[in-house]
Amino acid sequence: MPSMLKPILCLAFVWCLIGAALAADLQVPAQVTAGTAFAIASSGSGDATFYLVGPSSVVKRGIKLGSEIKVAAAEVQAAGRYVAITCGSDGCSSSPFYVVAGDPTKVSFLLHPSRVPVTARDAINATAFVFDKFHNPVFRPVNVDFQVVPKTGPAFTKSVKAVQGVAWMRMSPTPKEGPVKVIATVGNNEEPRIIQQVASEACNLRITARRTAKGVEVQTDSVKDCRGNAVPDGTVVSFTAVDSKGRTTVDAPIKKGVARTELPITGNATISVASGVVIGNEIRL
Amino acid sequence: MKLRATNFWRHVGLTLVVLLAAALCSPLLFRVLRADSLPQVKLNADGIAPRSIEELTGHNVTRDYAYAWRDLAAASQSNRSDLLSDYFTGFAKDKLTQRIADQRKTGVTIRYTDHGHNVKAFFYSPDGGEMQLLDNARLDIEILDGGKVIHQETVNQRYLVLMTPGADRWFVRSLDPVANR
Repeated sequence: MPSMLKPILCLAFVWCLIGAALAADLQVPAQVTAGTAFAIASSGSGDATFYLVGPSSVVKRGIKLGSEIKVAAAEVQAAGRYVAITCGSDGCSSSPFYVVAGDPTKVSFLLHPSRVPVTARDAINATAFVFDKFHNPVFRPVNVDFQVVPKTGPAFTKSVKAVQGVAWMRMSPTPKEGPVKVIATVGNNEEPRIIQQVASEACNLRITARRTAKGVEVQTDSVKDCRGNAVPDGTVVSFTAVDSKGRTTVDAPIKKGVARTELPITGNATISVASGVVIGNEIRL
Repeated sequence: MKLRATNFWRHVGLTLVVLLAAALCSPLLFRVLRADSLPQVKLNADGIAPRSIEELTGHNVTRDYAYAWRDLAAASQSNRSDLLSDYFTGFAKDKLTQRIADQRKTGVTIRYTDHGHNVKAFFYSPDGGEMQLLDNARLDIEILDGGKVIHQETVNQRYLVLMTPGADRWFVRSLDPVANR
C-alpha cells in the first residue's frame, strides 16, 4: 500500500504544478492612487471570473482572459490592500496590491475644551486628521496650519506637520476673555472651531453695604479677574454675616457683573465676601 | 437483573464518550471554537505621546481591539454586518459594512484565521479622546465564492488603527491596511 501512495502523491504534486502554471497570470500595478481607473493585464485564454476584494468593496464580473481587465475609479476609492483574483477553467490566480490615499483635501478637526479660563496654561488641545476626498487618511507628511483668531489682538498661525495622518498642538489661552476662533487648514479646506475663553477666579473682590428697612443690602463691585476680565454671570459669590445671633451665609450668583443680597441684620455685625478660593474685604456695621 | 442494568449504563456512558470525542475532533467544531475565541493582542505603549497611558486604559484598549477583530472575522465569514456594531464605529464600520454588503451580493465570504497582533500605541491625544495604534497582524486569509476557496494566503499585515473611547469601551474608528516597509 505505501508503494502505491508514493506515485499518487507525485502525480498530484505534478498536477498542482501544471495547474499553477496554466492558471492566468495577473499583472497588477505596484501601487494605485485612490479613485484612479487602471487596467490589469491577464494571460491565458477563455472565459473567467474576475474578483476584486478590497477594504470596503467586493467586485465580481465575467472577463475574457488574455485581455486587459479594466478597473473603474469607483471600484478603488478606499485606500488599503486589494486582492485581484481570476478564476477560469484552469483554476484561480491572484495578486495583491495597495491603493494609497490621494492628495489631502479634507481635515477633521477637534478642539478641546469648549470653554477655558484665560489663565489655564496649555489647556487648549487641537487635533486634526487629514483625509483625501474619499475620506482615506493621508499618512504621508502634510502641513496643517492652525490659525488662532482672538476677539481682540492680532491673529497668529502655527504650522504643524501631520504624522501618520494626525497633527496636534497644545496652546495657552490668549489674555482676554471672549470667543477665540481656531481654524485648521489643509490645502483649500478650512475647518473653524470656536472656543470660549472666560475670566479666571475673581480678583480684588470688594463689597459695599447699606442699611434698609429689612436689614442690610450688600453688593459687590464689578467682579473681575486679575487681568480685568469680567467674571461670568452665574458665578456664585458667598456673603457671610456674623452678629450677636451667630453666623449667616447667603450665596448669590453674579448678575450683570455684580452680586447682591439682603442680610437680615439689625444690630452690629461683620460682613465678609468670598468667591471660590478668593476672599474679599470685610465690613463692620 | 442488576447486572443487566449496569451493562446498559456502561454502554450508554461509552457511547457518550465516543460521541463527545468525535465531536471534539470534528473540524467544524474546531472552526466554530476558533471563530469565537479571542485573538491574541500584545500592546506596547512605551513610545506613546503626548499623553501617557494608564494601566487600565491599556488593558481596555487591548481587550476591545481583540473583540473588534473577533467580530470582524465572524462578520466577514458569515456576511453579517450587524456583528460589527459592538466595537466598530465611524469610517471603519462604514467601510466594513459596505464590503459585507458587497460580499452578500456576490456570494463571496472571507475567512480569517488570526495568529495574533503586535500593537504599538504611538499617539494618545492630550484630552484622551483619540488613540492611534500600529498593528502588525499575522493572518491566514481565505477568500471563498460559494464555499469554494478562490484565494488563500498567510500575511503579515500592518494596520493603522484609530480608537476612540465610548461610555464603556474603546471603539475602532479607523482600520487601514498599509503597505509593509
